[in-house]
Amino acid sequence: MEQVNEREDFTLVTRKPYFGLPTACPICLPVYIYLKFARLPFHLAFNSTYPDSDIIPYVESGTYVACNNENGGVIECLKKDGIVDLDNGYQSVPEWISMKALISSWLEEALIYELWVGSDGNSVRKIYYPDLAWPIGKVLFLQQVRTVKQQLGITKENSDRREEEIYNRASIAYRALSTRLGEESFLFENRPSSVDAILLAHVLVTLHALPETSLLKSKLLEHGNLVRYAEKLKTEFVEAGSSSSIPPFPSDPSSSTPRKGPSHWSSKPKPKPKREKTEEEKTFRRRAKYFLATQLVAIVLFLSVMNIYDISEPELDNEGDIDFD
Amino acid sequence: MANAGGIPGPEQKPEALNPNLDEIEEEEEEDDDVVEEEDDDDLEEDDDAAQPQRKSRVDRPKIENLFRRIRNGPVPLRVHDVIVKGNTKTKDCLIEAELDAIRNATTMQEIIQAANIINYKLRELECFDSVEITLDSGPPELPGTSNVIIQVVETKTPLSGQIGTYTKGEAKSSTVEGSLKYKNGFGYGDLWDASLAYGFDRSAEVSAGVYLPRFKGLVTPMTARVFLQSQDWLKFSSYKEQSLGLSLGLFSIRHHDLVYNLAWRTLTDPSHMSSNTVRRQLGHDFLSSLKYTFKFDKRNSPLRPTRGYAFVSTTQIGGLAPDSRCLRFLRQEFDLRFAVPFGFYRTALNFGISSGVVLPIGRDFLRMSTSLPERFFLGGNLSPICSLGGPSALWGFKTRGLGPAEPRRQVRGDSSDENADASERDFLGGDLAVSAFADLSFDLPLRWFREKGIHGHLFACAGNVAKLTENEYRNFSLPKFLQSTRSSVGAGIVFPTNLFRLEVNYCRILKKSSHDHGKNGIQISLSAPL
Repeated sequence: MEQVNEREDFTLVTRKPYFGLPTACPICLPVYIYLKFARLPFHLAFNSTYPDSDIIPYVESGTYVACNNENGGVIECLKKDGIVDLDNGYQSVPEWISMKALISSWLEEALIYELWVGSDGNSVRKIYYPDLAWPIGKVLFLQQVRTVKQQLGITKENSDRREEEIYNRASIAYRALSTRLGEESFLFENRPSSVDAILLAHVLVTLHALPETSLLKSKLLEHGNLVRYAEKLKTEFVEAGSSSSIPPFPSDPSSSTPRKGPSHWSSKPKPKPKREKTEEEKTFRRRAKYFLATQLVAIVLFLSVMNIYDISEPELDNEGDIDFD
Repeated sequence: MANAGGIPGPEQKPEALNPNLDEIEEEEEEDDDVVEEEDDDDLEEDDDAAQPQRKSRVDRPKIENLFRRIRNGPVPLRVHDVIVKGNTKTKDCLIEAELDAIRNATTMQEIIQAANIINYKLRELECFDSVEITLDSGPPELPGTSNVIIQVVETKTPLSGQIGTYTKGEAKSSTVEGSLKYKNGFGYGDLWDASLAYGFDRSAEVSAGVYLPRFKGLVTPMTARVFLQSQDWLKFSSYKEQSLGLSLGLFSIRHHDLVYNLAWRTLTDPSHMSSNTVRRQLGHDFLSSLKYTFKFDKRNSPLRPTRGYAFVSTTQIGGLAPDSRCLRFLRQEFDLRFAVPFGFYRTALNFGISSGVVLPIGRDFLRMSTSLPERFFLGGNLSPICSLGGPSALWGFKTRGLGPAEPRRQVRGDSSDENADASERDFLGGDLAVSAFADLSFDLPLRWFREKGIHGHLFACAGNVAKLTENEYRNFSLPKFLQSTRSSVGAGIVFPTNLFRLEVNYCRILKKSSHDHGKNGIQISLSAPL
């Protein structure tokens, strides 16, 4: 069993919040929800400069780290290391395993397709690249789109067929899950498990992050019990007590202090009027930087013009200190 | 044609004019008052042999009279026209840009001196195999004038390769580099090169660049370089750094250098063993920075200074881009050192102090954190004698071997003992660094050593690194900083070569922190002068 200093707080590092979700990344949100289901106290920190990382999300406590790309993911690591296990007793239940496989394969594929290929990409730009400079964000986005297409086996010739297949499988999965759930609070035995965590995360991202024109979203909305299930659990576990998991601003140094600017985290997106004001501030700052840069260039040019006559010929002293560079 | 053979050849730096009468040919003064400059002394000797001796008795008094006049004072003479020949590929404007001094000359002495300078500058372009400047008489209707004829032979082999140690504006240390160069591709004296470099700070770089001696009328050369660089810090700080970028040398004269860098930098950790702080810093950065260096080096040698002083100030501002999401920081370094000779056995005392600070730019900047690659790290197999330009070297300590450190990730089965070996810690560097050193160098008794330049030295050094950002400045105090300063002393033998300075030292650590990576013993340091 992993020795973890229980006195050290747990910190979950995810991608940034957006769309009213504590983290809008469909890979990070299940872990967040799982920890909330387990009522494990943790701090939430963000990494917004590594969108193509496979270690995010990760949970750390002192020198202990459970990464997304090891041992089946963060949830499996936490179970194996004895930190938190909500799946006790389910490992041998065939229906539980098949539901988990269904969500982790068909629904996950459908959501990835919809986010990166099926839509205009605005959602993923806000989720993954908000704090990266435009050239970097653009290149990484294009790289990721290509990777997703390769991962899903999509080519120019079979794109329509694969799209239909992906949506059909999603429909089948939604129907099966809706039938299984009924009007219960959770999928199995009226208690949360990791399957609920991944399903809830999928439903929340589909409902909140995808545009209104999304076909996947419309297919999900056909199953009202799934939508009610998600909203209810979101209110009960995700939004309730969310402020306690967000690191206080600005005095807590253990939080993931961003390198590029002061953190303005919140578990909810800013209301629209305030966002517009921030845009104005950004425009003003951009213009101020242009002005400062112009002044700096002017000073440099002035100095170079002043020194033109001083450097028109090399000094011919006998100490041999003419610059050969 | 008269030949002023006393004027140094173009392969030498232009020096004060000191004509040697014994080597000067005779010439008729009235019509052919000419001074010719050759870059081949053999041609001069051939001219000597070809001169018809019947002229010597008639012209000798006139030549002697001419040079007596030159010695006694300025001989009025001005340039009527400058004719450039031989440049089929090279643009006229490139050569004519160097001719202002000779056009404005009013005496023969000034003309000869300006001709020296032009010869040197044109050869410096590396576009020509030879440069020959001839002064011919001006039109008969304009007495007291001369025509300048510049005959160039363009290089027939524009492609060349070389290996050496260099420093570039964007480099943080010196590098061993192999490069291919293509000269004068477009006739503007442009020098194109592609190179592979390996740096002493464990960096590897592939780059391509162009050097323009005269770009749109600018008086200083411009350089542009595209580079792909990687640095491996896995062993010391559990991350690798890769940069893809563009470096523009905007301004480079005697003491001033201004470089603009645009780069996409990525920090990764393939080992997945990094500490918490390093793990939070992994990812992509957009770097747009301006770096200004003022360097004043009056030491007599960069490898073994025995006299003089040097001062370097480097200022770097990051965040100069329309996109506010690029890395914004201000980095300042100072380096001051002196070399005092003692007058026996070439003994000299070198001492100096270096300091540097880096801070983020933005509101509440002391709450923010600085980027890992921008921080200061002390230690490594570098000699402070050569490392001119900010705190970096400290004898006795390994690379990045001192300063703030954090335990690395512990995986299943590893000991979680708090007294883990220092190698299991990541060195994080600091926002403030100060280092100082004193080095007494002296010749060794054996003559063979003295002839090879091999000498001995005794040294002492001290340095410290501290973090100021992320509110750590609240815990900072000068007495505490001084109290925690690391120090070492030692002695060794120095082997200077053409490319680098090799030192074999015995170091003794006087003071270090428990997690520092330094120990007593033999240490080899290899550094090239910056």
